[in-house]
Amino acid sequence: MTTALGFRIDASACIGCRTCVIACKSKNGLPPGRHFRRVVEYSGGGWIPDPEDPTLMAPSGIFAYCLSVSCMHCEEPACLRACPTGALRQRDDGVVVIESSRCAGCRYCEWACPYGALSYDPSSGRMAKCDLCIDLVDGGEEPWCVTACVTRALEVGPIHELRERYGSLDALAPLPPGERTRPRLVITPHPHGQLAGRGTGHSSNPERDLR
Amino acid sequence: MSDHADDGLTGPSSLDRRDFLKWGAVAGGSVLAAGGVGAGLPLLKGPRLPWDIDDIGLPPSGPVPLTGGEWIPAPCWHNCGGQRCLLSAYVVEGRVLAVKSDDTHPDSPETPQMRACARGRAQQGQVFGPDRLRYPMKRRNWEPGGGRRELRGEDEWERISWDEALDLTAAELERIMAEHGNESVLELGSTLRRLFTALGGAVTNWGSTSWGTWYHTGPMIGLGDGLSSTSHNDRLDLENCELIVLWGGNPAWSAQGNSMYYYLQARRAGAKFLFIDPYYNDSAMTLADEWVPVRPGTDHALALGMAYALLDEDDPERNPLVDWDFLNRCTVGFDPDHMPEGADPADNVRDYILGRRDGVPKTPEWAARICGVSAPRIRRLARRIARTRRTALLTAWAPARTHDSDSWPQMFLTLGCMTGHIGQQGRMTGVSCWERTADGGPFLVGAGGTGVPPLRGVPRRTTARINNSELWSAILEGEYTAGDGDRRPIDLRAIVHDGASALNQVSGLMKGIEAHRRAEFVLTLNFVYNPNARFSDIVLPVTTQWERHSYFKGNRDHLIWARQVVEPQYEARDDAWIAAELGRRMGIDFADMLPVSPEQQTFNRLAGAWVVGPDGRGRERLVTITKDDIREMGVEGQPQEGRITLPEFREKGIYLVPRRPGDGLGHIAFESFRREPERHPLSTRSGRFELHCQRMAEFVRDVGFSRIDPIPVYRPPAEGYEETFDDFERGIKGPHPLQLITLHYRRRTHSVFDNVGWLRESFPQEFIMSSVDAEARDLATGDVVLIRSRHGSVLRPLFVTERMMPGVVALGEGAWADVDFRTGLDRGGATNVLNGARPTGQGHQGWNTCAVEVTRYRGPQRLPPDWRQPPRQPKGAV
Repeated sequence: MTTALGFRIDASACIGCRTCVIACKSKNGLPPGRHFRRVVEYSGGGWIPDPEDPTLMAPSGIFAYCLSVSCMHCEEPACLRACPTGALRQRDDGVVVIESSRCAGCRYCEWACPYGALSYDPSSGRMAKCDLCIDLVDGGEEPWCVTACVTRALEVGPIHELRERYGSLDALAPLPPGERTRPRLVITPHPHGQLAGRGTGHSSNPERDLR
Repeated sequence: MSDHADDGLTGPSSLDRRDFLKWGAVAGGSVLAAGGVGAGLPLLKGPRLPWDIDDIGLPPSGPVPLTGGEWIPAPCWHNCGGQRCLLSAYVVEGRVLAVKSDDTHPDSPETPQMRACARGRAQQGQVFGPDRLRYPMKRRNWEPGGGRRELRGEDEWERISWDEALDLTAAELERIMAEHGNESVLELGSTLRRLFTALGGAVTNWGSTSWGTWYHTGPMIGLGDGLSSTSHNDRLDLENCELIVLWGGNPAWSAQGNSMYYYLQARRAGAKFLFIDPYYNDSAMTLADEWVPVRPGTDHALALGMAYALLDEDDPERNPLVDWDFLNRCTVGFDPDHMPEGADPADNVRDYILGRRDGVPKTPEWAARICGVSAPRIRRLARRIARTRRTALLTAWAPARTHDSDSWPQMFLTLGCMTGHIGQQGRMTGVSCWERTADGGPFLVGAGGTGVPPLRGVPRRTTARINNSELWSAILEGEYTAGDGDRRPIDLRAIVHDGASALNQVSGLMKGIEAHRRAEFVLTLNFVYNPNARFSDIVLPVTTQWERHSYFKGNRDHLIWARQVVEPQYEARDDAWIAAELGRRMGIDFADMLPVSPEQQTFNRLAGAWVVGPDGRGRERLVTITKDDIREMGVEGQPQEGRITLPEFREKGIYLVPRRPGDGLGHIAFESFRREPERHPLSTRSGRFELHCQRMAEFVRDVGFSRIDPIPVYRPPAEGYEETFDDFERGIKGPHPLQLITLHYRRRTHSVFDNVGWLRESFPQEFIMSSVDAEARDLATGDVVLIRSRHGSVLRPLFVTERMMPGVVALGEGAWADVDFRTGLDRGGATNVLNGARPTGQGHQGWNTCAVEVTRYRGPQRLPPDWRQPPRQPKGAV
């Protein structure tokens, strides 16, 4: 599995613009209400009486950052373990794919995935997910989310190479700690990035919160 | 929309996507009928939504098959503030299946791919959207003279033929002009301008919108307005900065595309970023080392406090903070020894700052009380900016988009001149926003002209122009301001929306609706059923740029040539054709209206396209054109040699000037002026930067709304912070205690794209409030809140964040008004319902000064997420 592929996200450059989200929807034909990729906003801090002028308020530790999140094509995918029909499988290159014809639509995988990466398609009664644009990657191209990024904050490649270049950080709050599923993800942290599971802030878009 | 009864909106939220789309496509079917809408709209023939999973021919879900078609350059054409990105559409048999952005060359920071934003990539959602205007339509209860005018906005529609639509429109415009003169027609767009010119003119509107006061003040004091001319250095020079100050701007939202990527290059090269803004916005999140929250409309006071600190602490020997050499050589008006000709030496900036002119020293303590930044911090800010040698002092237009801010650009310039951050490597002062974000200087490449001769020699029968903030009162009250002490009567009978989105996009929307219901005739040319169309009598469907022959647009480093992507949809026609057909019915020569064919115009623009010479000098022809190219296009012209062949340009859709540091194509604004101001004077009266500008004061006086001083005197703005109080001195707040700012919102470019499902889902048009203010009102994210200003009321879902300064709230501008006529509440979140039409100064729009109160909404209306609401379609039309 040394050729396994993964994502790198540069949280210090992500502006939360959702261009990757729309590119993904365009490529995968996803209507509003469904997505394979999302942008999670995390923020914290607050306001205190200004120590230099008690008639004013001053910001105290206010921070924010965004993470663009899709399927992490994990080394120990929770979705795969949860699937009772064997519809989910992992390719040799690590890409987790779903064989639609074997999916019963039970949605166990959706509940199991800590990244909210699986999407139920009500029109077919089956699950669908990010396949890392493997049709393009197999042909030497890059996934649409990557080529869409206006700040060049997304990258895809052999995960061992990404780890060599960018380190091994695979989680930041509000993502779950990496131990759970060993995501093939490398994060370049935002300067205010907080450790997964130990964050002091909150998701700013809780309706799409991660589990 | 309020076209639909409240309970009708419960429909889509309980439906899945499949039903929702079907329901959208046949709007008026059973679900809507249950909501009390009435007549249904039969399923129409035409292109389905590219992502419409119900339609046969596409798999039920999964990747869009990219076979059997071709990629056609299909850039956006909107006034988006972006970097003019390249998109390509995958077209199969006249249908667009997917949209991607620039991959025509390898990506590099110096010569980047022109990557588009979420809006661009969702473009097909508006070209093929369910609210696309398909046929000419007439309001059911309209008749010449107006019919039942009060039904505008709620009436049903009837499909009519093009002939009938053109006949009715021409006859009604002719009747009104014959009976009441040309001065009875108000033209609020521009696509029929040639027609009205041929007819002797119509009344038009004026007044700076996006620019705020930079539009007029900027050039008068010696700086660029920020769009047609710039005052900042080019993007590669930003990498020479040690400090970049972004004062009141959020390019991550308002200037999408590559602009943030350019700033990120500067950060990687070591620049620090200082943000001054009420909101810890997404640009600050990405770039800021320091964030200084400031109250809206008080930037001027903050800058005065900083200027005072500089003067107070400056010691040329031991603590040099003020660049006296620059002030003395390159400016007029700062001190009594450097005044412009004829000016009173007492009117100098230094003495105003120190309080010698009006008895009020503009100390940091004085400023703190107004702007909300503590005095010690104001002093630290001033020192940091003055002591950092290579500083870019950059602002966007937002702080100038406030009432009574005519002197703000001059105050900003004063700070730049005092610190000397002008005209050198890594040093600049001016506007960096919209298309020109992070990249100043003259263009390096451009298209030629269309060759369409201007229409001359027709005597004008009206010269009346009405300020944007008086449009609706002019209709309702029959009077407008034509100059200082010059109020004139006017009798407006017809409103023509030929492009633009005036009803939704100028202040005072509630009055605007009233005015639309007063007029005898309202005409709209558009491609979607936006508020202009909704409040009209006749609607003429026009093509989008994707359906037209060509489109050229670029930015400093690149030129885009877009050709036709798909055939005109439904019965849509080009505006130019409509103008010609209306003209023919009104006795105007058809050839006068369409003197040059679209093909020939395209050729002329290509043949005249130019690119700067290799070392930055001179201009060369851009396009190589052969005899075969000319024959193929079926146009008149001569072959020529250029840098790129016509077929290659057509195929790629873009030409980029390759850039690298030291290539001779960079730009340092005011470099030669700073070196030799006598030899390279500015175009101001004095030839210097005018910190005392008599022309500016005269201009504002002549406009007729208010008076200003020739130097940057702070004037508490109408509906600014001071007006959130009943008693400012005693600190007693009034009924509208919060300050509203109106943001460029990522869902839209102004009002465009508000109809696109993907974008409505991603960007919910939430009302943004500080956690401090929300806690005080016991409000939480997701609550539906009622926002009230002196001018109107809006309902919106709340978004609470610690990132907003307490006392300040925000809403994205451009959402289509959705006024419920029983309650008077706007459910769409249109900021111009809250912004009143209140002309000040140079007649600019003061959108970021608006006082509001916010409470929990306890009324009967429901407010499902925007993306689950039905598409806005004309009722009853077939």
